[in-house]
Amino acid sequence: MMELQKMKSNVVGIDIGIATTTYAVIDLRGNILAQESFDTREYPNIDNYLGVLSEHLVNLVERTCGYENIRSVGVCCPNSNYKTGCLENATNLQWKGVIPLAALMRDRLGLAVALANNSQCIALGEQAFGAAHGMRDFVIITLGHGMGSCFFSNGKMHMGNKGFAGEIGHTCVVPNGRECSCGHRGCLESYCAERGVIQTAKELLAERNEPSMLRNVDDINPKVLTEMAELGDHLAIETWRRTGEMLGMGLANYASILNPEAIILTGGLPHAGRWLLEPTEAAFENHVFRNIKGQTRLLVSSLKDGERDVLGASVLAWQVKEYSLFL
Amino acid sequence: MPYQEENIKTRVVGVDISSNLTTLAVVNIRGNIIAESNFDTSEYPDVNDYVKRLSEEIVQLVEANGGYDTIRSVGISAPSASFTTGCLVHSPNLPWKGIIPLAAMLRDQLGLAVALGNDAHVAALGEHAFGSAHGMSDFILVTLGGGVGSCFFSAGHEHQGYEGLAGEIGHTCIEDHGRQCGCGNRGCLEAYTNAKGIVLTAQEMLAASDEPSLMRNLDTLTPLTIKECCDQGDKMAIEVYRKTGYLLGIGLANYADVINPQAIILTGGISKAGKWLTEPLSESFEEHILMHMRGKIKILTSKLNNHERDVLGASVLAWQVKEYSLFV
Repeated sequence: MMELQKMKSNVVGIDIGIATTTYAVIDLRGNILAQESFDTREYPNIDNYLGVLSEHLVNLVERTCGYENIRSVGVCCPNSNYKTGCLENATNLQWKGVIPLAALMRDRLGLAVALANNSQCIALGEQAFGAAHGMRDFVIITLGHGMGSCFFSNGKMHMGNKGFAGEIGHTCVVPNGRECSCGHRGCLESYCAERGVIQTAKELLAERNEPSMLRNVDDINPKVLTEMAELGDHLAIETWRRTGEMLGMGLANYASILNPEAIILTGGLPHAGRWLLEPTEAAFENHVFRNIKGQTRLLVSSLKDGERDVLGASVLAWQVKEYSLFL
Repeated sequence: MPYQEENIKTRVVGVDISSNLTTLAVVNIRGNIIAESNFDTSEYPDVNDYVKRLSEEIVQLVEANGGYDTIRSVGISAPSASFTTGCLVHSPNLPWKGIIPLAAMLRDQLGLAVALGNDAHVAALGEHAFGSAHGMSDFILVTLGGGVGSCFFSAGHEHQGYEGLAGEIGHTCIEDHGRQCGCGNRGCLEAYTNAKGIVLTAQEMLAASDEPSLMRNLDTLTPLTIKECCDQGDKMAIEVYRKTGYLLGIGLANYADVINPQAIILTGGISKAGKWLTEPLSESFEEHILMHMRGKIKILTSKLNNHERDVLGASVLAWQVKEYSLFV
């Protein structure tokens, strides 16, 4: 007898961060039904890690909506390759080499699993529920510890030949410039990501004699720099101005190639607000190709910080073909 | 109504508009050029007169080669053109200024569907259909000549961008506050690597030292004459191309970092400099590309006949527009 099949309307989104792993049950409208997290660093062995993650996950799902109502799983993880489903030579995570993360998780969970990097997941999330809703050509920039990006070309995510596309952080903006963690010199990331901003502040403190509240700070970080800028500290303001100048130029180069409708900034650094964004916008307009001057919107993500990545991972989960060991 | 075998139209017209010459050709499905003609672009400072002449030329060529009803559609390659809007957008090199709806104008004159694309976009289509990019779904095509343009394919489709203006690699900044570029900005890649930029590099080097160089005996410095000096072993000329290749290598590595293409295909007059350009270019490219892409991206020069590439690409473009005819 034919039976009306019940549609599975929930998925699991997982965000694997260097410090914290967050996982959530999310419905098809992007409502987070339940969310938990644990410390990633406690599990230097990937098998142990996946065992613990699966266990926690099954528990959460059973308490929330039942395993049979989960369609699939999306995983957001740095250095992941959407095309291969592998975590490839992670720089900041503790698991090295090439790890077939999607396959390992599918085997443990008995559900279809999709894997993508942070920029890709965020781009999916912003398009489904955030600032990029309704856009077909846009760029997502993630700006925090590192600098990554993802862009959509005519409504579809661009991944490139091997799935490595989007490495805006490692485009060269100053030939023979600052040393970058990737081994090259003068990468955009070495000026605009967290470490770069801090280095700029330290260089400024060394090259100028001006008094600054920053001189009394032991641990200069972007948050402190923003607070000092709010208090009117010239060197803090100048640090953000230099950062924005570099960022604006890098983004202008990107936009000249892509002609996007908007560039959406996400991650920790855009919290610096106008101190960063105003000089970025000025430099952007100054460097972008004439025909698209004044036509590219610079936006800041409208999604919440703690939710953005799992939400994106949930959108990713819908892209993989449904599969279940149990049905 | 009795069954009738419908005539499939197997030919299109490809048009290549450059600042001095307009070339048009009747091209079949397999990229064979059936007939070709050309006329002087610069004789028509008024775009209305130009469209009229172009339309007449097309009708004449088509009527003499199989007839109007064998033609499916028309594709045009022009600098500064947007496929998305069918317009020429503020072309710095063509005689017609502002925004010109060229595709619509020609369609109205001809009564056939017309597609418009910029030269890099059209060259990419041509290479994809009949050239070095055949079978590739992610690649970048770079045109090196009077300007430096580009187009890339994303998963088998050309990327156009929001307004169809994507691909301006020539106007990405390679040196903050660097050389003045024709676009109004400073330090653009094009200001160092197009024909004018290479000549300027040569002039700067000649002025900066007293070293003997064959280039000092040249009446006019052009990328070609400089290349000929390289062929004769002139150190300074070789250094001109080395510098050019170095900067182009950085620009293309940045491009490849964000696109992750299978290959980068070089076309246009400057790419004819051969190893003098491509060797330093490859070296700099590999030096600047992100580690995990190193050694994995091919840099190729186009194998298509220079003269045919653009009309061939325009013919591929013609197949992308929906068929339409006033007369059938």
